[in-house]
Amino acid sequence: MRYLIRRVLNAMLLLAAISAFSFALLQWAPGDFFDAMRLNPRVSSQTVEGLRSKYGMNQTLPVRYGHWAFSVLKGDMGFSFSYNSPVGPLLWARARNTLLLTSIATLLAWLLAIPLGIWSAANKGRWGDRACGFSTSALLTIPDLLVFLVLLLLAVRTGWFPTGGMISTGFDNFTFWSKCKDVAVHFALPAVGLTVVTLPVLVRHIRSAMVEALESPFIRAARGHGIPRTRLLFRYALPAASNPLISLLGFSVATMLSASVIVEVIMSWPGLGPLMVQAILSRDVYVVVGVVMLSSVFLVAGNLLADVLLFVSDPRIRVE
Amino acid sequence: MKNRHKLWGALVLLAGLHGLVLFAGFFAPYGSAAQERELPFAPPTRIHFVDARGKFHVRPFVYGLKDDARIPGAFAADSTQVYPVHFFVQGSSYKIAGMFPSRLHFFGVSAPGRIFLLGSDGYGREQFTRFLYGGQISLAAGLIAAALSVLLGVIVGALAGFYGGWIDEVLMRGGELFLALPWLYLLFAVRAALPLHVAEWQVFLLLIAVIGLVGWARPARLIRGVVLSAKERNFVVAARAFGASDAYLLRRHVLPQTYGVILTQVALLVPQYVLAEVTLTFLGLGVGEPMPSWGSLLASLQQYYVLSSYWWMFLPAALLIPVFLAYYMAADALQERLKTVPL
Amino acid sequence: MRKAGRLGKIRALVFVATVCAVSSGSASRAQSVDRMVTDNPPGRAGGEIVVALRSDPKTLNPALAADVPSRGIIYCMNADLIHINRETQKTESALAKSWSVSRDGRTYTLQLRRGLQFSDGKPFNADDVIFTFRVYLDEKTHSQQRDLLIIGGKPIAVQKIDDYTVRFELAQPYAAAERLFDGMPILPKHLLENAYDKGNFSKEWSISMRADEFAGLGPFRLKEYVPGQRLVLERNPYYWKVDGKGNRLPYLNEIVFLFVPSEDAQVIRFQAGDTDILSSFNAQNFAVLAREQAAKRYHLLDVGPGLEYNFLFFNLNDLAATHLPQISRKQVWFQDVRFRQAVSAAIDRDGIVRLVYGGRATPLWSQVTPGNKLWVDSALPHPARSLDHARELLKGAGFSWKSDGTLIDAQGNPVEFSILTSSSNAERTKMATIIQDDLSQLGMNVHVVSLDFGAMVDRLLNSFDYEAAIMGLASGDTDPTAEMNVWASTGGTHLWHLNETKPATPWEAEMDRLMNEQLITLNYEKRKRLYEQVQQIVAQDLPVICVASPDILVGAKERVGNFHPAILDPYALWNVEELYVH
Repeated sequence: MRYLIRRVLNAMLLLAAISAFSFALLQWAPGDFFDAMRLNPRVSSQTVEGLRSKYGMNQTLPVRYGHWAFSVLKGDMGFSFSYNSPVGPLLWARARNTLLLTSIATLLAWLLAIPLGIWSAANKGRWGDRACGFSTSALLTIPDLLVFLVLLLLAVRTGWFPTGGMISTGFDNFTFWSKCKDVAVHFALPAVGLTVVTLPVLVRHIRSAMVEALESPFIRAARGHGIPRTRLLFRYALPAASNPLISLLGFSVATMLSASVIVEVIMSWPGLGPLMVQAILSRDVYVVVGVVMLSSVFLVAGNLLADVLLFVSDPRIRVE
Repeated sequence: MKNRHKLWGALVLLAGLHGLVLFAGFFAPYGSAAQERELPFAPPTRIHFVDARGKFHVRPFVYGLKDDARIPGAFAADSTQVYPVHFFVQGSSYKIAGMFPSRLHFFGVSAPGRIFLLGSDGYGREQFTRFLYGGQISLAAGLIAAALSVLLGVIVGALAGFYGGWIDEVLMRGGELFLALPWLYLLFAVRAALPLHVAEWQVFLLLIAVIGLVGWARPARLIRGVVLSAKERNFVVAARAFGASDAYLLRRHVLPQTYGVILTQVALLVPQYVLAEVTLTFLGLGVGEPMPSWGSLLASLQQYYVLSSYWWMFLPAALLIPVFLAYYMAADALQERLKTVPL
Repeated sequence: MRKAGRLGKIRALVFVATVCAVSSGSASRAQSVDRMVTDNPPGRAGGEIVVALRSDPKTLNPALAADVPSRGIIYCMNADLIHINRETQKTESALAKSWSVSRDGRTYTLQLRRGLQFSDGKPFNADDVIFTFRVYLDEKTHSQQRDLLIIGGKPIAVQKIDDYTVRFELAQPYAAAERLFDGMPILPKHLLENAYDKGNFSKEWSISMRADEFAGLGPFRLKEYVPGQRLVLERNPYYWKVDGKGNRLPYLNEIVFLFVPSEDAQVIRFQAGDTDILSSFNAQNFAVLAREQAAKRYHLLDVGPGLEYNFLFFNLNDLAATHLPQISRKQVWFQDVRFRQAVSAAIDRDGIVRLVYGGRATPLWSQVTPGNKLWVDSALPHPARSLDHARELLKGAGFSWKSDGTLIDAQGNPVEFSILTSSSNAERTKMATIIQDDLSQLGMNVHVVSLDFGAMVDRLLNSFDYEAAIMGLASGDTDPTAEMNVWASTGGTHLWHLNETKPATPWEAEMDRLMNEQLITLNYEKRKRLYEQVQQIVAQDLPVICVASPDILVGAKERVGNFHPAILDPYALWNVEELYVH
């Protein structure tokens, strides 16, 4: 329990540090939100200066950070220049959709990767393992963006899947079952895309961890004792291999989040991705900080979960 | 024995690929930026041995291109124009390995004929040429970035795992911090702060190196995990009891156990960093025109019209698969070999 | 005296006597209603259309909206006093039934339509107009409209004559005064005055507010907003236009705006049949869509060149206060008009039109595009690309060539410079790559530096740390006054040389004179001659080297009726009240 409390406190500190560093980092990139406005021939530079001072952009960095930290406590998370409204509400509405998509995709990816990795390790060196190794390598060589685009092309050509969005336009008038079906088909493409891009790394790690575990002396001994293969794999080897895999779980959250930014933009998923990309390009700094903080919370939570699981599962760490 | 074959096979393949890329100027028929504005998005040129009258030629030849009467903007072969393919021809000038000027090319056709081995892009530039030249920068970038990440990762991971306690705490939380920060802004800042006349390839290498530098957290964490369990192994505990120093323990007993993870990481990271450029291009930080790179070749597929209209634009992506497979194969074989060495 | 309603678009103004209940008053009263009768072919009432937007609207407050999606939605929800007909590019009557101008061109008296109601049923009269302009003119509002309402250094004075007559007084005659009213949506005083008085106006009509807190005079009103997904507008039952058969406009029950974050994704959604109308997409996607035109039951239209002009320009800023000796040295070349003319002569404009825009663009030699029917100088020469001519010009300016073909200046320095582009704009980056190749044929060593938009703008406007850049500008209106800030030497978008206290060159002084004179000249023919001279100066002295103007491309499903896209924003939806579905 004390371990948990310490880790949570650590996480809070970490989040504070992330916010401070993000603020400083954002400062480095040249240009600000209002510069783009100056290119509009119908807006005078006085108006732009007025707006800049209205939003406090002419104040120093520490002052602005102070204001921001205060607004976080209020739940506002700062103020978006382009939306002319607090950042918080913008985030909450979209975070739910991102979380939904990424958690389904993470679940799908692990459910597929664990049996694949184990099977591949158990058949090490045989054609099945080689085919698995080849296809995961081949998948790794294709950039995420291309995977999503090809899936999208498939959807356009076949018409089997919707090409974007989360629900159809007439959704409100649907019956319960067609609502479920509608959401499911909209989920299909982005979730499959995310699974495909995260799967190879997972499979490779699971395989290599399992191979290592299978070659350790105690498994050889167990095999010598005539313990059945399935039991050997799942009861003996898998727990031994779980240590690096649990760390991997924490990271797969981060991988998933960054991959989901692209998938959301390409497949117009109403999540944080489109908001983030637009805010980055238009230098809407508080929205960027907001999204960064939110994904940091997910990330830190993922790592915390991994650490706790590790603590529970690995006696060696617990002893310490 | 079998494993040795695998390793040698992978290494020979890698050496061959790197040779092709290193001597891109010789193997490529054109210069990397040579435009043929009359022929944008021309399909791959077919190489013929049998002409329109059914006569066989020992010397291969290609046909010229004309506008396709059926599809506006597309091209079709014009069998009235015949251009034989010559080997070891004089063409545009380039520098062998960046030093010795030369005009000798492995193959080519005489003007006004054009040979597009992998088709041409939107400016009418030959894709095979751009693939070879692109490899120069992309492979260099991938290797540099992966080496930087893993090097930092090993140092941090080993220290954190081996010493534990507050060192571990600080380093690992630092890692999380690094994972969470919006580095993109650092890249924007670095890009924007560079003077105007820095060459495109230098800018790109710098950006990729920055990505490599900030990417240590992942390998560090994995390596820490291995070190953490490695140091509890009996022989390590025993060596410690015999009074072995920390440095000796790390070097002799703990780090060797991480080689597997390190090699897997490098093998995974090189392609990842090469491909990172596609995302960079998505955000406008890729290699500047007209410099080719593997990332920018793939990035052109981002545009829906390219993706849906010109299948040959996928060919560079297809060619990358064997290149990266060779990397993975070599890493796998190495990893297995190291395992057999008794600890 | 000029009278409005002279356009073919409006056949007649009829009085439709109706009895309407005015809920705000203490009693109901009978009133005549000045509805506007349109001359579009009658359509079928009902149905909905689906349109994609690049992002969520940022705000629905007309005084604060600066981005395209917000402005597009605000356009559907609001109305202005005098409207620019996007098809004819001329002004026409809107909420102002008619107007008159005093002989000196300084006083505009507008007669408002009587008996109109906002979309919440509350009546509209002169008080709303007075309130609206008070808001726009208030410095604390920081509205973009304010800059347009400052004429001759003084804000326009607005005065209520009676409930349906408003007078606008200008400090000096202003040629484009009528056009100003377009883009000044009339706000409901009854909903916003309270917040405005408390100083909370900027918080009003943010996107998170409830639908019943909005009201406008436009054809549609807000029904629903789902963040990140869609915004639905429903028919405004109180709208003030009727068709020739007396049917109330708009025909459509609803417009659904979907948020689709990239152009390609929008094209795909349109191709998949999810959206009914597609606008602003590139020529390559046009070609992709055209292949399935018949099978998928949509049609595509190339409306011709819009107002956007893309250009290359050199850094002619005064760099005395900066530490950029490298660039100052090169400015000796850039300042020589023969150097700029040589560059212009070497640019393969036809190649750019073909390769960058797939042929769906027009090469340009000056800033006004052929799409701007009223103002383009059609007599302007269009010299063909000539490397020989370019070499002659360079020779005349003291340049020469080394044996390996490198161009050197009189001091023997090789000519080498960089062109800045925005990496988010694929077309301009492509343009830069082609120009780079063009100029290398003159022996110039040109680098393309593509930065993200923020970094590029920072260099252009703040640090001046660039040598040349490619940009595109498109003003919202065809009228030359919209371009004042670009061509007047003191303007904020006078990109090649910002912060001039006095014109740096004789031709800039001449441009200043011409632009200021056209501003106060009321006669169209005279103004046109003045603006033609400006175009000639741009073509001759090349402060910016204009390259090309892309066509406006739109697509719509065959079922959409009365679809007449225009080259002015909002291209496909400008006549949204007349659209219907079969």
